[in-house]
Amino acid sequence: MNEHPNDYIKPELMACCGAREIMDGDVVVVGTGFPTMSANIAKHTHAPRAVMLQESGVYDARPRRPALSVGDACLNPGAAMIGGLIDVMGMFLQGGWVDVGFLSGSQVDRYGNINTTCIGPYEQPKSRLPGSGGANPIGAMAKRGLIIVQHDPRRLPARLDFMTTPGYIDGPGAREKLNMPPKTGPSIIVTNKAILRFDPDTKEAYLASYHPGHTVDEIRRSTGWDIQVADDIQETEPPRAEELSVLRDILDPHRMIKIYEGKGYV
Amino acid sequence: MNKVMTMKEAVATHVQNNDFVYIGGYICRTPFSAVHEIIRQKKKGLTITRGNAADDFDMMIGAGVVRRFISTFISLGVYGLARCYRRSLEKCIPHKIEVEEYTNLSLPMMLMAGAMGMPFIPVKDLLGTDLMKIKGFLGENKYKLIDSPFDGKPVLVVPALNPDVGIIHVQQADENGNAQIWGIGGDCKYGANASKKVIVSCERIVSREVIGKDPSRTIVPDFKVVAVVEEPFASHPGYTPGFYDQDFGFGYLYKEASGTEEGFHAFLKEWVHDIPDRAAYIQHFIDRFGYAGYKKLQAKFDYGYPVSYEY
Repeated sequence: MNEHPNDYIKPELMACCGAREIMDGDVVVVGTGFPTMSANIAKHTHAPRAVMLQESGVYDARPRRPALSVGDACLNPGAAMIGGLIDVMGMFLQGGWVDVGFLSGSQVDRYGNINTTCIGPYEQPKSRLPGSGGANPIGAMAKRGLIIVQHDPRRLPARLDFMTTPGYIDGPGAREKLNMPPKTGPSIIVTNKAILRFDPDTKEAYLASYHPGHTVDEIRRSTGWDIQVADDIQETEPPRAEELSVLRDILDPHRMIKIYEGKGYV
Repeated sequence: MNKVMTMKEAVATHVQNNDFVYIGGYICRTPFSAVHEIIRQKKKGLTITRGNAADDFDMMIGAGVVRRFISTFISLGVYGLARCYRRSLEKCIPHKIEVEEYTNLSLPMMLMAGAMGMPFIPVKDLLGTDLMKIKGFLGENKYKLIDSPFDGKPVLVVPALNPDVGIIHVQQADENGNAQIWGIGGDCKYGANASKKVIVSCERIVSREVIGKDPSRTIVPDFKVVAVVEEPFASHPGYTPGFYDQDFGFGYLYKEASGTEEGFHAFLKEWVHDIPDRAAYIQHFIDRFGYAGYKKLQAKFDYGYPVSYEY
């Protein structure tokens, strides 16, 4: 069998990119969709001892259908522990136990700050979005934030309309100055065109790899700031056969992941 | 003391105009029948709160009963942005509500502080973001950034919340109000206990003896409870573990209806104003979607091993 089958769709590649960031034994706070798929791919491949939490209060759920929200009924039977927001967001996240948190948003800037509050001015929003939910504390306290966003200049702008969730705020030293937990912050931005990582000195997101079919020029044009490119830039590794078989045979036999194509993840 | 009453009596007696109301739920155990009754009784000027709000809060905002919202998040889940909430903030329809925004960590912590009689509580979120810059009706009391009295480092503290009344839906309670839950908790336990009094709706009323067979499940003791309402199917279109599943089809119906002002009001007329109580709601649901549609939502049973507290 081909090590890298070429019949994958872009959301499958993105789910695999997320999965590869999860290390064995990680404690991961997940939402629905990409985060759950990524964490489960990791669990079934290289990270069998990774464990998942939902902010609603669930630890190690065993859902028999894909959860459509972090409060989904299918997360209840079989879980190892069920409490509430104080347990997961307080005892585990604020307590310092969470290694990985998934985040997404309508806008993400070069420092990995995220907007899920409003488009346009706060007092007179053109579009009022849901708000922080658990995103702000996850961005503030997860050791590694994994950000998933569509790649275009509107969603990766030079300036956010509203900073809901902290990345590296305004650059080096900002989190430290605010006495935020040490060794935390976003580690990667996975888009439908590329993988961005954060420069340890400038804290700016740079282009680390481009997905097959995309070019550095196209990605620079699709980014709202003058994005730096890694010296060792390479093509993103496509999904491996093993990753795809986990995704298609075990996690998502109805291939609900295709709905992300309709949402623009192409 | 037997506190059993109808939802109409509970809301009429214990929810006043301009009250600060905590309403529990996380799709799981949403007290939707209480929300409908609040709308039916045309309460005014309420301040509402909980972490991760959903369709029930959107409906109250659209119905005009809300003045202020201490918020972390509001959406219709898989069905996207909350339509009435958007109309209120973007177009002042029916009026612009005032919002004070926290997160799914800080707000539950503020309720926990309220439950414990603490004046405020330190949290590690919010820092460095525009959630610090934007202050709503709490003004300078939204938070304080202080130097820790212990090590002198900056620490953020947020105020305790003590709602006038807390409303929760639980699986079972006794006639006095000892309320038991299982499944996803959200901020229900702290929200209810932070409140000055609690209205409990439940799938079933059980005896005090049944409560005593598994007392670790009790989240609110009877001395805080002022009303107990036996209200099966009260969370619909949310769910109650062990009783019925979330109704995604109905969620879609609400999303479509709430997309326009007219659609929203037609929905309210059909499912709230023209319905006297939860029993009539269930009957109307069966009339609309058939008994099969109702039956389909009912939970399977898979009992665990009974626990023993004996010594």
